[in-house]
Amino acid sequence: MTAIPDTPAAVDLRDVRKIYGTGPDPVAALDGVNLRIDPGEFVAITGTSGSGKSTLMHLVGCLDTPTSGHVSVAGEDISTAGSDRLARLRNRSIGFVFQAFNLLPRLDVQRNIELPLVYAGVSAAERSRRAAAAAAKVNLTDRLTHRPSELSGGQCQRVAVARALVNDPALILADEPTGNLDSANGADVLRLLASLHAAGRTIVLVTHDPAVAARAARIVELRDGRIIKDAKT
Amino acid sequence: MSWLSGLLIGLQEIREHKFRSFLTMLGVILGVASLLAMFALTAGIAAGWRSTMQQIGGLERVGINDKQVSLEFADLAALSPGRTLADAEALRGIPHLVSHIAPEMQVGATISAPDGATVSARVTGTWPDNFTVSQHEMAAGRFLTDLDLERGARVVILGDAKVAELWPDEYGTDADFLGRTITINGRPFAVAGILARYEREQDRRRRQALARGDKPPAGQAMGGRGPVGSGRRDMFSWKNESVIVPLSTLYHEFRSGQKDTPPLAMAKLDQLNFRVRDLSRFDETLREVQNLLKGTRRGVDDYDFDTREDWFERMETSLRSTQLSGGLIAGISLLVGGIGIANIMLASIAQRVRELGVRLAVGARRRDVFLQILAESTVIGIIGGLLGLGAGVLLLALLERLAPLESPPVIEPSAILISVGFASAVGVLSGLYPAWRASRLDPIAALRYE
Repeated sequence: MTAIPDTPAAVDLRDVRKIYGTGPDPVAALDGVNLRIDPGEFVAITGTSGSGKSTLMHLVGCLDTPTSGHVSVAGEDISTAGSDRLARLRNRSIGFVFQAFNLLPRLDVQRNIELPLVYAGVSAAERSRRAAAAAAKVNLTDRLTHRPSELSGGQCQRVAVARALVNDPALILADEPTGNLDSANGADVLRLLASLHAAGRTIVLVTHDPAVAARAARIVELRDGRIIKDAKT
Repeated sequence: MSWLSGLLIGLQEIREHKFRSFLTMLGVILGVASLLAMFALTAGIAAGWRSTMQQIGGLERVGINDKQVSLEFADLAALSPGRTLADAEALRGIPHLVSHIAPEMQVGATISAPDGATVSARVTGTWPDNFTVSQHEMAAGRFLTDLDLERGARVVILGDAKVAELWPDEYGTDADFLGRTITINGRPFAVAGILARYEREQDRRRRQALARGDKPPAGQAMGGRGPVGSGRRDMFSWKNESVIVPLSTLYHEFRSGQKDTPPLAMAKLDQLNFRVRDLSRFDETLREVQNLLKGTRRGVDDYDFDTREDWFERMETSLRSTQLSGGLIAGISLLVGGIGIANIMLASIAQRVRELGVRLAVGARRRDVFLQILAESTVIGIIGGLLGLGAGVLLLALLERLAPLESPPVIEPSAILISVGFASAVGVLSGLYPAWRASRLDPIAALRYE
C-alpha cells in the first residue's frame, strides 16, 4: 500500500459491485473490483466479451452508478449521484472517444468539437476559440467546416478525440477507439493517444485487443467481473 | 443550455427536413388559416352590422310602440288617448335625457312631378329632429326646419330612390332637383332637400367600381343584384324611399277637415321615436319617459319601448355561435395538427436515439434534452402558425374573389395574436410527451442503439 498522495486519484473504485437484473437469477457484471488510477496514467482495461470491462467503463465514465461499493472520479464520489450530477461530471471530467466515433452527422467539425462546451454554458466566442485549439492538437484545423460524412474514418476519430479534449477533462475514456479503423488509421489514433499521455493527460483505454492494450503503460485485465491481472508493461 | 440554443437546434432540424417539417405543420397551417379566416369573417360581419345599425339610428334610437292592454285593464284602455303629439311634447320636458324627438304621421299618397313621373308613396310628416333620430344625411339642399313646421310650409324632402322614380330620365345626371315642384295628392310642394343614398359599404364600393367602368368581379354579375333604387328591398329602403314633409303641413293638408278629426295635439301618431342623449343613462332615461307617459296616457299601460338593444343582443348571439362553430372546426384541425407534430417528433426521436445518447454522454442533462425536443416542436408550431396566417390571408382573398361577401372580412391584430398563440401552444403541448420520452433515455442504451 502506498501512502495517499496529495492529489486525488483520477479514478478510485473500492469494492465495486454491479448487479444486473433482480429476482432469482441476478448477474454480477462486476464482483468486488478495487482499482485506482492516478492522474497522468495511461491504463488499458482489457478482457473478453462478458468480462465486465464495458460495465467498468460505464462506471468510470459516470454513465452509471454501482450497486454497491464506491466510485470516485476526479475526487468526487458518484456512487449515489443523480442523473444531473452525473451529467455535470461527464461534461467537466470525462472525455469520451467511442468505437463508432459518434459524431453528430448534421453538425460540422467545429460544432461537433464544441458540443460539450454547449452544455457547459460556454459563450459562443469562447467555444469556437477552444474548438480551434483542440482541432489544432489533432491536426484538423483545415477541416473545421466539413461535415463528418466528408471525412475519412481516421479523421472522424481525430475529431472525436478533439471533442474529448475540448473541456480539458480529468480523464479521457477511449472505448475500442481503433475498432472501426484500418490498421494504419488505428495506429495513427493510438499514436495520438500516446502523445496526449506524454503531454500529461490521464487516459483509460478499453479494448479486447492485446496488441492495442500493449500501447498503454499499465494493463488491467478482467474476467467474470473481477480483476485478474494488473501490471505495468 | 439555454432556450435559445434549443430553438437554434430546432430550427436546424427543420431546415434539414424541410418537406417532412412542412407535412408536420400542415395541420397547424390549416388550423390557423381557418381560425384567422373565421375571425376575419365574423369581424367583417360585425363591422357591417355595426355600421348598418349606426345608419338606422344606432343604439340611442328608441321607439314608442302601441301595446295591447292586458285584459284586466281593458275597461280603462279607452281612457288613454294613445300615441299622440302630446307624448312628443311631454318628452320635451326632459332635454337632459332625451336629445331629439321625432313624431311621425304617415299618409299614402300619389305624388307626381309635372316634368316627370307619377308614383305612389308613403308621405311622412315629422319634426326637424327626425334628421338626427334617423341619422339622415343630405345629398343636396336642407332638411326640415322649425320655421317649416311653424308655418306649415309646403316643402318636401325626397329620398334618393324616390328621386329616381320621379325623374327616371334625369336621375344619375347632373340635373338639379332642388326647388322643383311636385304634387302630393294634387297639392304643390317645393323640393327643399334630397337625402343621401343609403347603402351598405360593399354596395357603395361596387357601384363606384361600376361607375369607373371596371368589370364586376365574377359571381357578382350573376347575383342579379340591381343598382340601389331599382326596387330591391333592404334595411335602407325605408330611408331611400322617404317623402318627408313638416308634420303640421301633413296634418293640415291631408288629415284635418275630415269628419271627427281631433285637434293636432290629440291626433294619433304612426310612429314616435326619440334619441337618448347619454347611453350610459339609458335605463334612467326609459324610466323618466315612462313617468311622463303615465301623465299623457292617464295611467294606462298601453305602450312598449322598441330599443335596438334586443337587436344588438340577437346579433351578438348569432355572431358568437358563428364564432363557436368556426372555432370548433379550427380547434379540431389544430388538435389534429398537434397530434401530427407529436407523432413526427416521436418518430424523429426514434431516429435520433444515438444522437441524443451522444449529447447525454458529453454532458447534456435530462432537462437539456427535454428543452431541445420541446423547442423543436414549438418552432414547428410557430412556423406553422405564421405560414397559416399567410394561408388564411390567401384564403380570404380567394373567397372574396370567387364569392364576394356581404361584409368584407376584417383581420384584427387580436385575431393574428390569438391564431399564432394557439399554434405555439399546440407546438408546446404536442412536444411535451415526446420531450419527456426523450429525456428518459438511458445514455448507455442510447449509445448502443443501432
